[in-house]
Amino acid sequence: MKAILLAFAVVASGCAHKSVFRLSSDENNAYALGDTLAKRKLPEQPTPVNASGQPRVFVLAAGAPKTIVAYDLAGGNVLWKTDADVQSRISVGGDFIVAVEGKQLVARDQARGAPRWKVELGGTFVGAAADKERAYLITKSGNSWSLAAYDGGNGGQLWKDDASGQLGAPAAHGGVVYVPFLSQWLSIIDGRTGAQLTRLRGIDEQISTLRVTSNVAYYGSRQGVFRLDARSVSGKRDQASYGKVKIPPQLERTSYSLDAYDPIQQGYTAADRARVLWSSVPTDTGPMKLVGDGYAVHYFRYLFGFGLDGELRWAYSQPRVELVASEHTGTVIAAVSTSGDIIALDPQTGGIRAKKSLGISQQVLGATFDADGWAPSSEQGASETAAALVSIARDHDARFDRVKELAVIALAKQPGAQVTSELLSVLADARAPQRLKDTVVDLLTMRHDPASLPVLTEQLAVRTDYLAGTEPEALGPIAKAIAGLGQPDLVLDPKHVTAALAALQLHLDAATTASPELAWVIAAMRAIGHGAERSALISHLLLYHADDDLGGDAGWQKAIVVALAAQATPADRAALAYVAADPRTKPGLITLIHDVLGAD
Amino acid sequence: MTTGICRGVALVIALGALGALCAPGASALAQPAKGAPTAARTKVGAKPVKASAVAPELIAALAGIDIEAAAKAAEMLGANPAPVAHEALLDALALGLPAAVAAPAMLALGAHPAPPDVVALRRYAGHHTPGVRIAALSTLAMYPDPAAHAVVVAGLHDPVGMVRTAAAGAAARGRIKAAIEPLLLLLAKGEDASARALAALADPDLARKIADQLGKVPDPTLAVTLGAILKRADFGPDEARVEIVRALAKIQDASAVTALTDYLDSSPKLPPRPSRGEAQMVVEARLGGK
Repeated sequence: MKAILLAFAVVASGCAHKSVFRLSSDENNAYALGDTLAKRKLPEQPTPVNASGQPRVFVLAAGAPKTIVAYDLAGGNVLWKTDADVQSRISVGGDFIVAVEGKQLVARDQARGAPRWKVELGGTFVGAAADKERAYLITKSGNSWSLAAYDGGNGGQLWKDDASGQLGAPAAHGGVVYVPFLSQWLSIIDGRTGAQLTRLRGIDEQISTLRVTSNVAYYGSRQGVFRLDARSVSGKRDQASYGKVKIPPQLERTSYSLDAYDPIQQGYTAADRARVLWSSVPTDTGPMKLVGDGYAVHYFRYLFGFGLDGELRWAYSQPRVELVASEHTGTVIAAVSTSGDIIALDPQTGGIRAKKSLGISQQVLGATFDADGWAPSSEQGASETAAALVSIARDHDARFDRVKELAVIALAKQPGAQVTSELLSVLADARAPQRLKDTVVDLLTMRHDPASLPVLTEQLAVRTDYLAGTEPEALGPIAKAIAGLGQPDLVLDPKHVTAALAALQLHLDAATTASPELAWVIAAMRAIGHGAERSALISHLLLYHADDDLGGDAGWQKAIVVALAAQATPADRAALAYVAADPRTKPGLITLIHDVLGAD
Repeated sequence: MTTGICRGVALVIALGALGALCAPGASALAQPAKGAPTAARTKVGAKPVKASAVAPELIAALAGIDIEAAAKAAEMLGANPAPVAHEALLDALALGLPAAVAAPAMLALGAHPAPPDVVALRRYAGHHTPGVRIAALSTLAMYPDPAAHAVVVAGLHDPVGMVRTAAAGAAARGRIKAAIEPLLLLLAKGEDASARALAALADPDLARKIADQLGKVPDPTLAVTLGAILKRADFGPDEARVEIVRALAKIQDASAVTALTDYLDSSPKLPPRPSRGEAQMVVEARLGGK
């Protein structure tokens, strides 16, 4: 770092163009920041940047060459399509779009898609941005970086700023350009003149990400984001409108925005498929205030809505294919899939507000939304969270094994027998990963939902049958889940209990029930039996107490003794005492019985 | 809850002179066979009410740690027609016997079958040790009780082949009609034990049904089954045998010729039987074609 700064200091004095990116500069100046914020020409409400004010999405589709598809979200129709060798993200201006095509920055007429102007990159592409009137380009040559502005109408270069320290990809709106500088600063440049309006230094957080909507700018890092406002002058999280949401560990690849210093992310990549999506309102105190006290996470095929406490509110699963791009427009969460489907979800409920299709056969590689404020009302579908969670849990794509954990955890928090059935179906799925099954077992055990008992009992109906070719599915976990229903505060339907005990006893008496499963069957009978299970358990104990195999199994010994010793009736104690006194009884069993019966 | 296992429980209660544990009505299952004396419903090893024909040492040995002695005691008790010997076996089974003793004890029990035995045998028919299940199923064949038949039929679904074989044998010996459908399923899987059992159970209708399995059952297994029916002296009339011969003639596998040849070798030439004549023609045609 020291070497970089030294090199910067040496080279800075020899720049041919204005050198606004300097190590020493006025920064975190409240007055300058106030002026800068006031200078921005931003809409009061989220509004598309394009001159027509209509929500649009610009999609890049695969092919040789690739295809840009401009789509009118409000009208639901393709505006135009054109072949283009696009190598970067598409930035949207007032009446143009701009992207790197081949080795040139190319602006296209937004109404028809025809090329309007082209300029040579003149270096390695770092990033580009646009506002209503101008395009901005950052390139790197050797050890120097430069930021240039071009007229959106004719491509004429308006100004150029050089820097000897690393610049990140820019973002722009309302006549200002935001440029991350050396991971520590956010320079805010006048888009018209190239002059630095002010500069913010992150005191306790790096500045490596930018997200700019039509009327709000956010900056920060993978740790969290600041909403740009007067309080940004502090440079500190606790004195600014700073936000950090709870991202479940299963969605570990999620980031707040693209990494401005990663050249790969200046094109459409998989990083676009793992994003926090949020919208905020201004606040004078405290942390950043999220609209609806919640946020969403786009994670490949899925969208999840969360409350500030990190609890899942809703889930959406895109059928079959991934969502490649997403945006919180302030009113909906919009996303486009690889197959060209466009969806808009209610950020609060996950309900579907719009479904559209690009109607193209090529695979979508990425997209840029210019749809701030888009509020479609063509559909008012209810959230299908449970179905989405089930779909995720059943997904056989091994990349999403951890997401499946998140799904089953969320699913298990919902009441009802159907949920239990769905969880059990995961256990029955031969292709489900073992870790997921382990999670499901734990969830079933902790579920404590009396309505689950008939469903669990139903699963017990499957037994080992050579002719039918069947074997019990997840007997141990099911029994464990039933054992979890033996809580004193849970009221179970006596008819359900009777049926469950009968089903459990069939497995207790079955020749094929292995010791570990037997232990759980015994525990389950004890948990819900309230005494009705005792005679069966005593008979079982007598049958095997002198058996060389099962009788000597420590797990079985513990299970049966604990079951009979807990709240033992005199009959239970008599049975245990008899077994302990029988010279054929296995030693471990005798010791256990003596332990629970005490001196007598 | 199934309450048929309450004999052992009741015995344990008796040991402790404690209250009832089993559900109402269950205790009836623990009663001795009709006409049998009440015995051994006291402490294990205690002198039975009518133990004159059974040495107490024998009963003690049955519950002892010497496995060989216990197995021998079981055999001796089984050989003893005295009801008290039977009761001793039942009680020992109810209180739980090691696998090596349980099997001979059940076979001994079957030497003098009594209705209450079914409950004890049914309990051991689900034992983890296949040998114990085999002994239970083999013994259950001797009981006309539908409950016993149900256990035998369930044994045909057992994952262990030797247990299924024992169940098939039991079904044949007990002439258990309910076993026919599962036996046909086992036949389709080529299990020889089911072939023998079905052959033993077959009347003309069942024989026809078995013959109709051509294409669904491996040819050699079907040939063995039909051949075994043909060889049964009690199977008839001869028109039914003719149908079987014709069914065998349709089986291309060489095992069909073997079955027909065995029939020709084992059946009397006189008086002449049409079935034998047809069998002769089929064999000559098949062998002559070589």
